[in-house]
Amino acid sequence: MFARPLTPPRPAVLLCVLAMVSACSTPAASTAPTAPPALATTTPTTAAVVPTSEPTCSPEGAANPDTTPPDQVKGNLSVFDWSGYEDPGFWTDFNKKYKNVDVKFPAMGASDADIYNGIKTGTNTSDVFHPYTGWLQFYVDEGLAEEIDTTKLKNWDKVPESFKALGRFNCKQYFVPWDWGFSSIVYRTDKIPKIDSWAALLDPAYNGHIMMWDDGPGAVTVSSYIHGWDETAITADQLAQAKTEWTAVLKANPTTWAGEPDLIAGFKTGDVWAGYAWQSAYATLLPDLPMAYADPKEGRNSWVGVYGIRKGSPNYDLALRFLDEKLGAATGEYLVNTWYFGTSNADVIAGITDPTLKKAFSVNDPSILQHTNFTPNLTAAQRDAWIAMWSEAKIAAGS
Amino acid sequence: MIRRGSGRTTDPRRRTFLGLALPATLALTLFLVAPLVLMVTLSFRPELTSDLLGPFAPTLKHYEQAASVGGSWQLLQTSAVMAFVVAIVATALAYPIAYFLAFRAGSKAGLYLILLLVPFWTSYLLRVMAWKLMLGNAGVINSVLVGTGIIDQPLTALLYSRATVVVTLIYVWIPFATLPILAVLGRIDVRLHDAAADLYASPFQQFRRVTLPLSLPGLAAAFLMVFIPTIGEYVTPLLVGGNAGIMFGNVIQDYFTKSANWPLGSALSVIMLGVTLVLVVVGLRVVKPRRLLGQ
Amino acid sequence: MTTLARSTAAASHPPRRPRRWPSVLSGFYWLLILLLYVPILILFVFSLNAGTSLAFPLKGFTLNWYAKLFDTPALLDAVRTSLIVAVGSSVVATVLGTMIGILLSRFEFRGKGLLTGLAVLPLIVPYVVLGVAMLILFTAFDIKLSMATVVIGHAIVGLPYTTLIVLARLVGSEPQLEEAAMDLGATYPATLRLVVVPMAMPAIISAWITAFTVSFDEFAIALFLAGPDRTFPVYLYGQLRFSNSLPVLIAAATLLMAGTLTLILVADRIRRR
Repeated sequence: MFARPLTPPRPAVLLCVLAMVSACSTPAASTAPTAPPALATTTPTTAAVVPTSEPTCSPEGAANPDTTPPDQVKGNLSVFDWSGYEDPGFWTDFNKKYKNVDVKFPAMGASDADIYNGIKTGTNTSDVFHPYTGWLQFYVDEGLAEEIDTTKLKNWDKVPESFKALGRFNCKQYFVPWDWGFSSIVYRTDKIPKIDSWAALLDPAYNGHIMMWDDGPGAVTVSSYIHGWDETAITADQLAQAKTEWTAVLKANPTTWAGEPDLIAGFKTGDVWAGYAWQSAYATLLPDLPMAYADPKEGRNSWVGVYGIRKGSPNYDLALRFLDEKLGAATGEYLVNTWYFGTSNADVIAGITDPTLKKAFSVNDPSILQHTNFTPNLTAAQRDAWIAMWSEAKIAAGS
Repeated sequence: MIRRGSGRTTDPRRRTFLGLALPATLALTLFLVAPLVLMVTLSFRPELTSDLLGPFAPTLKHYEQAASVGGSWQLLQTSAVMAFVVAIVATALAYPIAYFLAFRAGSKAGLYLILLLVPFWTSYLLRVMAWKLMLGNAGVINSVLVGTGIIDQPLTALLYSRATVVVTLIYVWIPFATLPILAVLGRIDVRLHDAAADLYASPFQQFRRVTLPLSLPGLAAAFLMVFIPTIGEYVTPLLVGGNAGIMFGNVIQDYFTKSANWPLGSALSVIMLGVTLVLVVVGLRVVKPRRLLGQ
Repeated sequence: MTTLARSTAAASHPPRRPRRWPSVLSGFYWLLILLLYVPILILFVFSLNAGTSLAFPLKGFTLNWYAKLFDTPALLDAVRTSLIVAVGSSVVATVLGTMIGILLSRFEFRGKGLLTGLAVLPLIVPYVVLGVAMLILFTAFDIKLSMATVVIGHAIVGLPYTTLIVLARLVGSEPQLEEAAMDLGATYPATLRLVVVPMAMPAIISAWITAFTVSFDEFAIALFLAGPDRTFPVYLYGQLRFSNSLPVLIAAATLLMAGTLTLILVADRIRRR
């Protein structure tokens, strides 16, 4: 009764609109098919993409990492991360290399809102923080993030260009991408032979057996895929329609999931046949149950977690080193093998041998990646409206 | 009451009064009143900023928005009703436990009481997850019922419903509700029972005429202790209520954790606080605590 | 209220109460105990289960989770923090609650209703709101988050419980003993110390136990106010998003409970000697 519930670790994805991405990308094409996981930068067919007049960004400078011996680097670093990420496995490269740096996690967030609120109100004065795509524009607009000198990152060249572009605004690099994954529908093939559209989540045929993620922006994103709406311009009518549909889904099914363990337990007890899920749930369930991870015709969704340096942090140099080591191989492997999340270190992804994980990350099927969707930036008004819609749907479902 | 006059000019206990009152008042003002005042002012701020003590232009837009969220009033009412049911039943069921501990357990009463409370030193989150295992469609209860042939299909309403929330809350609150009742029962002089028995009162009459009236302050305390926080409860509905068992507290929690809209969350909290205060005032008028508290 | 009119009692005593009363009550008590401990039993079973999710069927016996538990310093630190915070905040809440209880039951003064309302107010405010409000307070005045801030938060949260419990006890008690003490020359503080507090001691202990229990598993406020040292529920919550951690957490929780139970039983044994 005194505990707080589980909230999802990452919200709906966002990415610069295609035009901005391609405009800011270097001449080395972002759609190079040979670099896994080259996240495709195409958007759903019906999205009207308006090219901006962003100038092409100048190419990045040559890598020029510091050569100070690690043992001579001393200091304190504070990190504002999601609960659980203080686990040394998630920064093992930094931990092993810089023995004289003291890393602290003074406060933990449980949602992007937490992290944003903490940095914005100044209640959190950590040097480094970990938001997800969908929430990045606010930090840049409000001057809360430092520009990152990528020439000092020796691991920067292992990051695919499309990922780099996610953290770039106005041709300045503000964020270093770190973890990523898909959102799609995971389902039991013994109950549902095949799912090839997001509309399956609304299908009354599966009433009582669908588990949706408890997240407003996530729900609106799914609705926009199903109906082919422009996510940058969801109208009030469209939002109302989404609310009606989701209220019906909530009424017809017992519950939603706030944390992956809930979803996994739901599948294992046999109650859940299909659910909105990240690939980590798929990888966890695959050994035990006949599962499939859908490739909907509207395209999967993808999200990326990034690290930024708080503006005004006195430990810029240390923070940069921390970010660099976050991209390290051991850290990446921990992320992939223990938690089934993707890393932006492309070498690590290319080196995956486990067949379950290969399936989870669709390493062998580039066509999936090519029509994976990224949602555009959320404005504060949109975010509030979408959260309000979901809240109202839940209230209506409970009455 | 001690009739030695008020704590004003001539009361020799004045120094004690100050010694008692100052720390309590200071603590409450600094750490309860000030934060709440700050929160109320936050609900009138146009948006969240880094300067929380500075001036701002007050606005009512968050309250307008809160009022316009469809169905929320009804949800608030439903939550209050649920809280009321939980409080009444939990207090009623706690009474026999407290009675048992006070009059029947003898020297083992302390031990039995601790036995009752030890589960609360296990994580509530985990305990409720285990509770879900018992209530689910493939859970222990359903497996037993279906397996023995009492029913054909598992009872789906055991989990993820409003009833689940109410039952779980009652179950969780009973041990806590026992404490104030026990504290009061403990001071009932057992000789009063003997006297009643000597006067040929049946056990039931003894209970109704002696024990029950003397324990009313404890019952009132227990009821309030359960009723008031349960109106704002959100964890249990989130864990076992599913889509049907949502309570008003969940709405507030959503706004504080999923959105950056703290001013709106504050406005919702102020509304709920207001309603709860009204309920408490009304309730206190009905129950007449001054008489209960012997004033 | 009946008087102690023993003199009117007849020579023969009325029949003893029927024997069935004790067993119904104790049966009820044990039924509740059963209901409380069954989920814990289930948790215990799963702490020995080789699988990582909380669902049947069981996957095989293992003691690995318990071993891993002691290999996780963060978890052990979290438990230690929880204990320190719970003891600190419950003591503060009990002391303050007793003070307020005495004030409300033994004194007349103008702000009485206000004080009562304030003492009970934390119960009305949702914990998430209280947590945010206190966080705002500490931020506005540049107070860094630490164990102390959590202790303050939990003390405020426990205060209504301690006040109500002690008050309920003090209110019904007759003040004659105190008046007698003062008539015999004791100062009021001495009277409080030697008469009132000992008389209310069962309630005070009850209040302290309640405040301790409230604090130990409290999460909503601890999450907002915790500094570098996190309490066990906050740590637990952070780990719960990762399904792989679940068994170790369950092992920790069952061990904590088993430890507490053992301590109690041992203390009881000692007390009885």
